[in-house]
Amino acid sequence: MQASGGGAGGAEGRDDQRSSRTPACQSGSGSAEGEDVHQAPEGRGVFGRGRAVMEAAVARPQGERAPDGLGSAGDVAPLAVRPRRGEVVLTLRVPFQSALEADMARRSLLPDAQRHQGLIRKEFAVNGSDLLVRWTAEELAFIRLSLNPFLDQLSLVIRNIRSLGIPPRQSLS
Amino acid sequence: MPAVLGFEGSANKIGVGVVRDGKVLANPRRTYVTPPGTGFLPGDTARHHRAVILDLLQEALTEAGLTSEDIDCIAYTKGPGMGAPLVSVAVVARTVAQLWNKPLLGVNHCIGHIEMGRLITGATNPTVLYVSGGNTQVIAYSEHRYRIFGETIDIAVGNCLDRFARVLKISNDPSPGYNIEQMAKRGKKLVELPYTVKGMDVSFSGILSFIEETVFAMLVEITERAMAHCGSQEALIVGGVGCNVRLQEMMETMCQERGARLYATDERFCIDNGAMIAQAGWEMFQAGHRTPLSESGITQR
Repeated sequence: MQASGGGAGGAEGRDDQRSSRTPACQSGSGSAEGEDVHQAPEGRGVFGRGRAVMEAAVARPQGERAPDGLGSAGDVAPLAVRPRRGEVVLTLRVPFQSALEADMARRSLLPDAQRHQGLIRKEFAVNGSDLLVRWTAEELAFIRLSLNPFLDQLSLVIRNIRSLGIPPRQSLS
Repeated sequence: MPAVLGFEGSANKIGVGVVRDGKVLANPRRTYVTPPGTGFLPGDTARHHRAVILDLLQEALTEAGLTSEDIDCIAYTKGPGMGAPLVSVAVVARTVAQLWNKPLLGVNHCIGHIEMGRLITGATNPTVLYVSGGNTQVIAYSEHRYRIFGETIDIAVGNCLDRFARVLKISNDPSPGYNIEQMAKRGKKLVELPYTVKGMDVSFSGILSFIEETVFAMLVEITERAMAHCGSQEALIVGGVGCNVRLQEMMETMCQERGARLYATDERFCIDNGAMIAQAGWEMFQAGHRTPLSESGITQR
């Protein structure tokens, strides 16, 4: 999903929400044999240009813990905690116009992300100008329950940024 | 002269308000109304709010005649309320605060009602009866804090009335409580038992009058008890049920008997609205409060 900001003080003339670009969803390529990979179905785009990339894989259990915190720009966002055997991981990559916008979206969405931490784990990171969101849970059904409302909130944040526009010389507080 | 923008959407009303130095400059609001016989669910309510909130924001700014540069602080309802609607409003408040580079303030919904009630009526230190679909509490300010003196032990009085309206399929437009009140006004016979049959017909006005008289008398009693405890000479009703004229009459009678004064606001401010969040946010802003983004998560309780 490409979020097009309004630019310096400008607003977009066309309503990109109605353009029907289909987001392509890729299945994640697992690292070892025996991995079960789910392909997310293709659907109509509602966010305009660009495409979202979703990768779902049943993670293989690993021996050691990854370092704390998600990777910053330049990494491929390793997990803070490795998934256990049988857990499902879904990663959503949302391209924005800039790292600033992606991080703004992250800060708006993150504070309420901890609400259902018992059943699912949700992690955010910004990689370049992409927002990365990663769900980890025992059942894909839990992830699906979390994903749909999340996409609604994400859509609202994108519309919000687009409608107000990124001011020039924006500095993050 | 700080100007505060306030967002409210904890139940089925979504409002955006602007307050500057005790003046309400704008207070547009929309209500999510469901068909008779149904109540509002969190997911649908959140969807309604998401669809209109950005338009409401523009309406508020236009009505107030202000731009983003004139706003000093962004206030929003941190809780209590329904989860999904609260989140929908909170993400917009956070995004606007970042886009405009303004401080953020998470406001308690109940305190929003009380602060707006005090602003509009001028009551100085009242005992507060807070009655709505989601809350029923008697609150007084004591030793630097608002304290709950009495409350419902199960459901809010507005919830009781809403559920009653649902069973009878009374319209939810503009609100079930309003329609109950109008029907109850036409009730001529107060019955002790909620069972009214006239031959092959039934009458429901009497039941609704019974409901109102009984639940409102209960509220008057606990408010009076709190006033006696605090030695209070003022009472303030806030919350959507506070619109009910019969409740106000009964409270007025009790207050007069005690030589106390009753304050109440009209439907613009009784019912959930954005300006009350802006007003409470204004008070907090003046006192130096800020809510960092990392601590701005909503709290349902």
